[in-house]
Amino acid sequence: MTFSLRQMSIRTRFGLLALAPLLLLVTLLLFLPPDGVERAEWAQFIGRFHLLSIHFPIALILLVPVLEIAGRIRRFPDLRASVDFLLALATFSAIVALTLGWCLARSGGYSGSLVTQHMWGGIFVAALSWLCWMLHGRFLGQRLDFIYAFGLVVAVGLVSWTGYRGGQLSQGENHLTEHMPTVLRAWLRLPQEDKGPTAAASTSFFTICVEPVFAGHCNSCHGPSKQRSRLRLDSYEAVMRGGKHGVIVKAGNPQGSELFHRVTLPAGDDKFMPAEGKRPLSADEVKLLELWIAAGASPSLAADAIKGAPTNAVSTVADVTFEEIDTAAVEKRRAPLASAVAQLQKRFPDVLEYESRGSADLVVNVSLMGAKFGDKDMAALKPLAEQIVVADFSDTAITDGSAAFIAVMKRLRVLRLMHTQVTDTTLHMLGDLNQLESLNVFGTAVTPGALQVAARWPKLQHLYTGETKIPADVQVSEAVRGKLVF
Amino acid sequence: MLMSNSKIPDLHTTNGPCDGEPVREMHPEETFARLQAQTRRHFLRSLTAGVGTMFLGTLASQYGSSARAAELNLDGTRRLDFTRDPSRPLAALPPQFAARAKRIIYLHMAGAPSQLELFEYKPELTKLDGQDCPASFLLGKRFAFISGVPKLLGSQYPFHQAGKSGQWISDRLPHLEKHIDDLCIIKSMRTDQFNHAPAQLLVQTGNARLGYPSFGSWVIYGLGTENQNLPGFIVLLSGGKSPDGGKQLWGSGFLPSVYQGVQCRSHGEPVLYLQNPRGVSRSLRRSELDTIDKINQQTYAAFGNPETITRISQYEMAFRMQMDATDAMDIHKEPAAVLTNYGSKPGESSFANNCLVARRLAERGVRFIQLYHWGWDSHGSNAKEALNLGFADRCREVDQPIAALLADLKQRGMLEDTLVVWGGEFGRTSMRENRFGQVMQFVGRDHNPGAFTIWMAGGGIKPGTTYGETDAMGYEIVKDAVEIRDLHATMLYVLGFDYHKLNYSFQGLEQKLTSVKPARVVAEVLA
Repeated sequence: MTFSLRQMSIRTRFGLLALAPLLLLVTLLLFLPPDGVERAEWAQFIGRFHLLSIHFPIALILLVPVLEIAGRIRRFPDLRASVDFLLALATFSAIVALTLGWCLARSGGYSGSLVTQHMWGGIFVAALSWLCWMLHGRFLGQRLDFIYAFGLVVAVGLVSWTGYRGGQLSQGENHLTEHMPTVLRAWLRLPQEDKGPTAAASTSFFTICVEPVFAGHCNSCHGPSKQRSRLRLDSYEAVMRGGKHGVIVKAGNPQGSELFHRVTLPAGDDKFMPAEGKRPLSADEVKLLELWIAAGASPSLAADAIKGAPTNAVSTVADVTFEEIDTAAVEKRRAPLASAVAQLQKRFPDVLEYESRGSADLVVNVSLMGAKFGDKDMAALKPLAEQIVVADFSDTAITDGSAAFIAVMKRLRVLRLMHTQVTDTTLHMLGDLNQLESLNVFGTAVTPGALQVAARWPKLQHLYTGETKIPADVQVSEAVRGKLVF
Repeated sequence: MLMSNSKIPDLHTTNGPCDGEPVREMHPEETFARLQAQTRRHFLRSLTAGVGTMFLGTLASQYGSSARAAELNLDGTRRLDFTRDPSRPLAALPPQFAARAKRIIYLHMAGAPSQLELFEYKPELTKLDGQDCPASFLLGKRFAFISGVPKLLGSQYPFHQAGKSGQWISDRLPHLEKHIDDLCIIKSMRTDQFNHAPAQLLVQTGNARLGYPSFGSWVIYGLGTENQNLPGFIVLLSGGKSPDGGKQLWGSGFLPSVYQGVQCRSHGEPVLYLQNPRGVSRSLRRSELDTIDKINQQTYAAFGNPETITRISQYEMAFRMQMDATDAMDIHKEPAAVLTNYGSKPGESSFANNCLVARRLAERGVRFIQLYHWGWDSHGSNAKEALNLGFADRCREVDQPIAALLADLKQRGMLEDTLVVWGGEFGRTSMRENRFGQVMQFVGRDHNPGAFTIWMAGGGIKPGTTYGETDAMGYEIVKDAVEIRDLHATMLYVLGFDYHKLNYSFQGLEQKLTSVKPARVVAEVLA
């Protein structure tokens, strides 16, 4: 018997066509299995469509036995005619869904027995679907016809099981029984859900001392949004359940617990946690974990039950984060004064600049112009007065004649008048600058008489009064005490 | 390269202006440079942008054009624009976000001072002085000179707590001690280099190999400088020798060379041949420069090489510096009391004089002032390198000037916006050096990259704090390790930058000071 493409039925041709990608997928699964490493975003993005597309072949495969049975009823004899087409469609759509599934598993950081079972389940479903397609009607009326029926039954069973495993992967291991009513639970003799400790645990050692450590260091990778190594640390149950490497907490045995081991490895070790340069746990935080595990890793043990636990161990210093500058918003805020700023920048190069790229506030530093900047130039700053938050007039020729112009810079935080001709008169005129944090009159003729006005600056931190007529042992009011720098 | 065809004129025929550019003819060399700047990643990104255009329609305007793509980092965040008027490459630019400090004075103690004689109080180590060091100290470690089993070496000087903050300090720095409540001492610095040159390069350029821009270069690339009559990045040396890392420590690497540090001398002419030769007047010099400038402008018009701009602006700066730099460096003008405070003697080349100059430069708006003081390599191989002899001299040389500098900055309100950093390139071992396995005549310690101490003071830094901890022997870090890149990220944060965003495209990478490994801004040391 010779094989030639022409003699083959259309079904056999398509069948062979489907076999190729199926074998390719098997090879992929064997040689490039999911290994828990996250890869290209593109593959992850495409892979997510697995969850969508998978329902199509499932429905088709489940439909086939329905048609086969319904077709035997005299009213619907035509139904069985479409079975062939359905099986072909199921096989091809299963292949597409499988490919997407592999993309997701390979690039989405999945690994472990659950995903492996789900994966091979999927492959066998596709293979069975293909087999049924090939067998359908081939041995009609012969002794071997039962193989087709048998294959169909197995396919339905397997598709249900694989689907359930898939549900566990995406929805959690107990997604079906999670909200089962207690009565039904008792009747099915399933263990009752352990709600007691978590509800009553708000004063427990775990909630007060341990959970904040996880929240601060771990949950960005082992929490609701990401589950590296399929581990979550955002609830007591999740912590005790462990991840793909198994249980991570052995009650009473910190040294034997993977959780403790990982955070106490020498920094730089590949397995050290938190990984990738994130802030390591402090010694006190490690101590808390150790004490908690040693005391039995209980969810309900009272917070004060463990003696000698470090208090306030969880770092209160937040990690520095960076936000993107909203360029459009910044431009909008700058727009009203943009032309005035540009004009002034042209007139006095290098003295006027925005405080930052994300701000419309201005910083003025004319100190480098020296005597070339005087009272008559101050008027130029007037249109921008309310935008100026830092101003340095040190070493310039300004005198008390400039005070009126400075007094309208209501938002000034830092004002430097070092080595200028200003006197007490100027300071007295600046009483309304209620944002002022730092004032520098170093090397001026300011006298102790000017200090009264300092009480009017609620935010003042430093008043630099070196080389003035204010002696270092000057008697000052409560408001200024400790703020003078000589 | 394919996708750029429409934008880039043919190499041989046209030199037409390309869109969005100032109207200047593009020379083949410039075209070539631009083509080189286009990488496979850009190409792939344009491709994906193309796909987006097809089915996202309206959204395409956000990502579609490749001109837009050039404004984005590879992670999709917006690039900061550091381009300036070519004739003013050092023009000041605002920081990314409000800065806590606007300038840096970096005091690098070249040779790596011993933390165990200055800031690290380790009574346990003193108790075990003279005992064999535990085998675990040697396992898998490499040393410059230690061989066999060395002896533990207790601190050579007594320690005490000082200031309101109660931080520990030895008796070697009595002047600095008065400012201890201004210091944030980081005892858990770590490096991965155990020889001076690469370790200094790592500290100053973020990379142990040659060819990377120094910290100061990155800073003036990002922020420019306020005073256009002085370099934005000035380097002063003392201690008798240059640091082992050489001039690369203030080199600009792949950044345009206008951003490199300018080494100035602390006596005589700040820069050699800065003054006009006898018989050349300032106006003659001016007309000479005008002619040279014309020729250079022609060259730039023809070739478009940014290094030509560097050349032009350096000529101009040198001309302006003839007045301003000479004045800034001239410490004769300081009152006698100030000279006494610093322990300065005008005319000498000393760390004291450099500290005083540093203050004068800071007052004049210089962005980054880098001091190197050589001579801290206390191996104990001779009297100069002995912890009980040469080391004590080094301490005396720096103690008073640093204290005077901090006092001056504080008094003038400049410590508010100046970040002062003190430190070496690595630490020293808890064991006494035993070169060739023998007991040496003088007492010294070998290099220890595993732990060292630096301090910071001033703008944005939490004063009077200690961060990090080493073990009882002061040998390895047990708490809160700070990598060099973490220090860099923290310093850039103080200056108002996200260390990711201060970057420069070179060799297909968005190069940055902290290099490719993830860094951490040490939030705990920030005020």
